Amino acid sequence: MEKALPFRFFITHPKVAVLEWDTEANPSPLKQLIGFQEAILKEFNEVSQITQGYRSLMLYHNCDIHYLEDYPNRLYLLFDSLSTFSFTKQKTWQIPVCYEESMAPDIKSLANQLNISTATLVREHTSANYQVNFIGFLPGFLYLSGLPKVLECRRKSTPIPRVDRGSVGIGGKQTGIYPLESPGGWHLIGKTPCSLFEPKKKNPCFAKAGDSIQFLSISKL
Amino acid sequence: MIEVLLTGIHSSIQDLGRFGIQNTGVPIGGAMDLTAMQMANSLLNNHKQSAVLEMCFKGPKLRFHQSTTIALAGADMNAKLNEKPINNFRAIKIKENDLLQFGNAQHGKRTYLAVAGGFKNPKILNSRSQYQGITPEATISKTKLIPIGQVDLNLQKGARLTLTEPNQNDIIPVYNGPEFHLLPKKAQDQLAKQVFTISNKNSRMAYVLVEKLVHELPSIWTAPVLPGTIQCTPDGTLVILMRDAQTTGGYPRVLQVSDEGINSLAQKSTKDQFQFELTSF
Repeated sequence: MEKALPFRFFITHPKVAVLEWDTEANPSPLKQLIGFQEAILKEFNEVSQITQGYRSLMLYHNCDIHYLEDYPNRLYLLFDSLSTFSFTKQKTWQIPVCYEESMAPDIKSLANQLNISTATLVREHTSANYQVNFIGFLPGFLYLSGLPKVLECRRKSTPIPRVDRGSVGIGGKQTGIYPLESPGGWHLIGKTPCSLFEPKKKNPCFAKAGDSIQFLSISKL
Repeated sequence: MIEVLLTGIHSSIQDLGRFGIQNTGVPIGGAMDLTAMQMANSLLNNHKQSAVLEMCFKGPKLRFHQSTTIALAGADMNAKLNEKPINNFRAIKIKENDLLQFGNAQHGKRTYLAVAGGFKNPKILNSRSQYQGITPEATISKTKLIPIGQVDLNLQKGARLTLTEPNQNDIIPVYNGPEFHLLPKKAQDQLAKQVFTISNKNSRMAYVLVEKLVHELPSIWTAPVLPGTIQCTPDGTLVILMRDAQTTGGYPRVLQVSDEGINSLAQKSTKDQFQFELTSF
């Protein structure tokens, strides 16, 4: 019986290919995604950059993919050769957040919706260890996994046109920080003075896929 | 320096964009019609990365505070230099105090103004492309002075272009997107045969189409996208992601517009119609 391929390979543009993992077979491919990314960038000069989603990678090539020899076979061989998937230098970041009502316009209504006190909401939100899956949607917007089940909720039925930069929100099974002012449909439960995105810096976003995030409650001062 | 007397409807400085940091959520950006941008730069022997002024629908009113050479490419925007009409696709000498103004775009929607040496607003994250949240402003603003290159061009030498037609291509080449195969055949045929109309929701970020797709595709796990990716939302709305689009998305990606196709779409706007041409590799 033929062994199932570890990921699907699909060419969507002459220079761009998508690698997709089956989440039924592999519910948490994050380690593989990050580790494989690093290996590809090291081994293949033809790949100029890689972007990432929950279960996929997008490979940008600096030439037409059809001119590449033995492709994607070489990708599959590289994948098979990696016995473990580790990623270099994961960091843990502690992000200070003020959960006081003046900074958290939706904290009371969300606590009501979830049938818990605001104190419990804050305690749950700050006790979890979140993992950065990838960055997307907006510059510096971290897609975090690890939201405690008790905090899962429905998004607002009508998103608001303007969410302040630095706002911390919860929506569905996700939590995150709005790095820039933007429209948004998440419940806003706090604000951080930290900047998630610094365009003037060479590395504009301090966090990377694979890093851990913890939220720390701070007072308004 | 160039002084902005009137901004025009949507004028922004653009170059080839910010490539290589999409994994921090930064869009590539850059000129919507890259072919027109390249033409304008080529006429002045500019480096292909040189920043140009992208003018949309109706251009600005500009006063030059230095002599230079300019070139225009893209839609016909009825350009007037010191009140006298000038043509696209020509290198044109500019003297200090010259006044350049534009009317409404015809035969397209976007016109590119290149200057010898390029526009020189500060680079942020390696590009001069204006983008809300990265550069101080998303568009040029009134009374501001924009720095430009100081290059003296000898017009006797260098590239010339035969006066060429603006891009009005109504056939947009596309490739299958990663989720195309999940569409029912009826929907796939609809994509190939339907004449599509651009709705009034169109911008540098995305073009929303009027005609909807009948489908039952679920959302996808948030996945990377790139300019030209066509998403299909739960109610069947088709969204063509353009240069300033976000870098990831949770909607099925049904088609991918070719590079050439994006440049053609850049010259279209509300109520313009076109058809897709499904292309295989």
